[in-house]
Amino acid sequence: MSWVTVIWSMVVASCLTLAAVHGLVWWERRAKNHALFTLTAVVTALLAVIEFQMMRMQTPAGFATALLWLHVPAWILVLTLVVFMRTCFHAGREWLGWAACGVRTLSLVFNFTTGVNLNYQQVTGLKFLSFMGESVTTGVGPVNPLMVTGQLGLILLVVFLIDAAFTIYKRGDRRQSLIAVFIALCVLLATVQAALAFWFGLSIPITASIFYMSVVVAMGFEISGDVLRAAALSEELRESEQQMTLAAEAASLGIWVRDLDRKTIWATDKWRSLFGLDPETPLEFETILKRVHPDDRESVRKVLTTAIETKGSYELDYRLLLPDGAVRWISSRGRAVLNGAGKPHLVRGVSLDVTERKRAEAEAQLHRNEVTHLSRVAMLGELSGSLAHELNQPLTAILSNAQAAQRFLARPEIDRVELGEILHDIVEADRHAGEVIRSLRLLLKKGEVERQPLDVNEVVREVLKLMRSDLLNHHISVETDLGTDLPEILGDHVQLQQVLLNLVMNASDAMAGNELFNRQLHIGTFRNADGFLRISVRDKGLGIPPDRLDQVFESFYTTKPQGLGLGLAVCRSIVAAHHGRLSVENHPAGGAVFHFFLPIASANRYSGA
Amino acid sequence: MTVFLVDDEASVRKAVGRLLRSEGLDVAEYGSSEEFLAAYDPEAPGCLLLDMSMPGLSGLELQSALAARDCPLPITFLTGRADVPMCAEAMRRGAADFLTKPVNDVELIASIHRSLEKDRVTRQGRARVEEVQRLLANLTAREREVMNHVVSGQLNKQIAADLGIAEKTIKVHRGRVMEKMRVVSVAELVRLVEIAKG
Repeated sequence: MSWVTVIWSMVVASCLTLAAVHGLVWWERRAKNHALFTLTAVVTALLAVIEFQMMRMQTPAGFATALLWLHVPAWILVLTLVVFMRTCFHAGREWLGWAACGVRTLSLVFNFTTGVNLNYQQVTGLKFLSFMGESVTTGVGPVNPLMVTGQLGLILLVVFLIDAAFTIYKRGDRRQSLIAVFIALCVLLATVQAALAFWFGLSIPITASIFYMSVVVAMGFEISGDVLRAAALSEELRESEQQMTLAAEAASLGIWVRDLDRKTIWATDKWRSLFGLDPETPLEFETILKRVHPDDRESVRKVLTTAIETKGSYELDYRLLLPDGAVRWISSRGRAVLNGAGKPHLVRGVSLDVTERKRAEAEAQLHRNEVTHLSRVAMLGELSGSLAHELNQPLTAILSNAQAAQRFLARPEIDRVELGEILHDIVEADRHAGEVIRSLRLLLKKGEVERQPLDVNEVVREVLKLMRSDLLNHHISVETDLGTDLPEILGDHVQLQQVLLNLVMNASDAMAGNELFNRQLHIGTFRNADGFLRISVRDKGLGIPPDRLDQVFESFYTTKPQGLGLGLAVCRSIVAAHHGRLSVENHPAGGAVFHFFLPIASANRYSGA
Repeated sequence: MTVFLVDDEASVRKAVGRLLRSEGLDVAEYGSSEEFLAAYDPEAPGCLLLDMSMPGLSGLELQSALAARDCPLPITFLTGRADVPMCAEAMRRGAADFLTKPVNDVELIASIHRSLEKDRVTRQGRARVEEVQRLLANLTAREREVMNHVVSGQLNKQIAADLGIAEKTIKVHRGRVMEKMRVVSVAELVRLVEIAKG
């Protein structure tokens, strides 16, 4: 086989291969630039085939015909190059493009209407040239003067390309600008070669397809960037997916995707092991739900349904009841994914085993309850004298009433009305004693925390009743400013009493050094605009040094010789558990004011799992 | 004779008041020290039964306030706390008794009777002193001078020498003193002067 055959075959083959590759890309992605490229490559291959035929022609007529048809692919190439520049590089003056295409189209018309083709009026004979050690055919005869239109079209194309390259260069893209220059150079070379061969009868063969193949390669280089980038991207994606899987596994995260249209669920093996499902079990929403603890099942269903309906995301902690009876805490978060029409079609989520954390939390809660209780008992210990006095009052009333009754009974005439009143008073006093004992028992009890709707004013009154004797003893007078029509709050009765008792006792201690007439305690209840109730306890003591304001709530901070320093720390944790806050400030007129804020009861605030 | 009962706790006040009335005593009840002070009549005889810890003036403070007014009412404290320093303080200031709640009827009533008796005696004594002082007020300066010498046991002659007056004149003054003081013997006169001195 000769070199010419090898080279031209290779040109055709490579052009067609490139065409096939980009044709596929075009088919997959419907990308216009790939279609344009495919067309250019196919036409170049066609050009090469015709050119190869021309070089092998043995008759002048055959040569003339081949040359005639060679102009068709050549014309198409001009058009595609202009379009390619305009659409892919967004460069080149429109009028120059139109001019190049127009002139070249005109030359195609002349090709078919004048002479035997655009180049010759007539092919009178053949000349055989030696090219790459081989004999190739070229024609001899009078040239067609209208051939000038063909070369003018090509020159216009070169000008268009150079102008485009300049525009691109100014835009700052050197690579694209270089490609445009390269394409212009190839077109120019092909033009010069044709001009030399036809106008000046130089004995050189026409190898336009070689130049155009270079153009195709340059275009392909530009256009393949996309494909290469996509490939790199997909590689990166795979890499990051692997990394994510690794990270998810390291973090013990189970990942799942629920397809709402196809009603299928996909999940990682880790997720399956969290739910105690083996890798083969087909996943269905209802079967998965059966794994959820019966107490949590409805809330899980509701949260997931809501997330889909509202096209939102969710966060949820719930329990699984595994076949072996073990309970596993799962923390799950996910999000509904919308399709093109804006409807949710997927739900993606991750699940994490938080059993250990929940257990630690429960233990911490237990410790907190212990500390809370201990602090309460210690506080009641301090109050015991006053509480005993509080019980002593009804006992005194009962004894005196009963002894008075005995004396009345010893009289000859019995006053039944008087006796009835006495018995009534005894019952009343006994009831009062019972109340004191009941609230004491509640405060001493180490009970579960119970949330119930409470009237804060009632809590204030109860605490003042318990403290009455103690306050009297310390010569403290109490002023109250209890708001009317206050909404209820949700809270634990005993714990809120504890907080208030603590604040009142602290206020009382703070005023121990005051003159007797200057020991006023002020308690107010207010409704704040931000959905909170405020209970304020103000004393007339020395206040808190400004640099200590932050420390008073810390554990083991105390100013009292026998203090544990737990009271306020416990109070703050109680208030925090009620979703409220506890703060302190110094009153401008002297003394400290403790405020404690509690959220106004609303039906859904505490409904969380 | 009235028992003035001061206690801020209504149920206790009512019950104790009732117990005292069952004994046939006259009881006036007050819910606070201030209320009692507002109604206080120095002439009204009786005794005070006082709660120790009350809002406003406490029991001890009321005791001080009454002492400042020279009130003769004996005070019995009734308190929920058997607080030794407080009890000592109350007794030091002259309290009649110190009882703890709940109080037994016999103990309470006996204490009240003692107080009432004490008040009666005190008032009697005060009345006598006042009478003597009234009589003394009728004497002229010279008569008082002569009386002082008489009660110190001097004879008329000695008094006359001391004062530089005739013995006869002394005799006249002496007769007027005995008449104005409504006594017939020197011994009686001496006793009256002793009473007036307190």
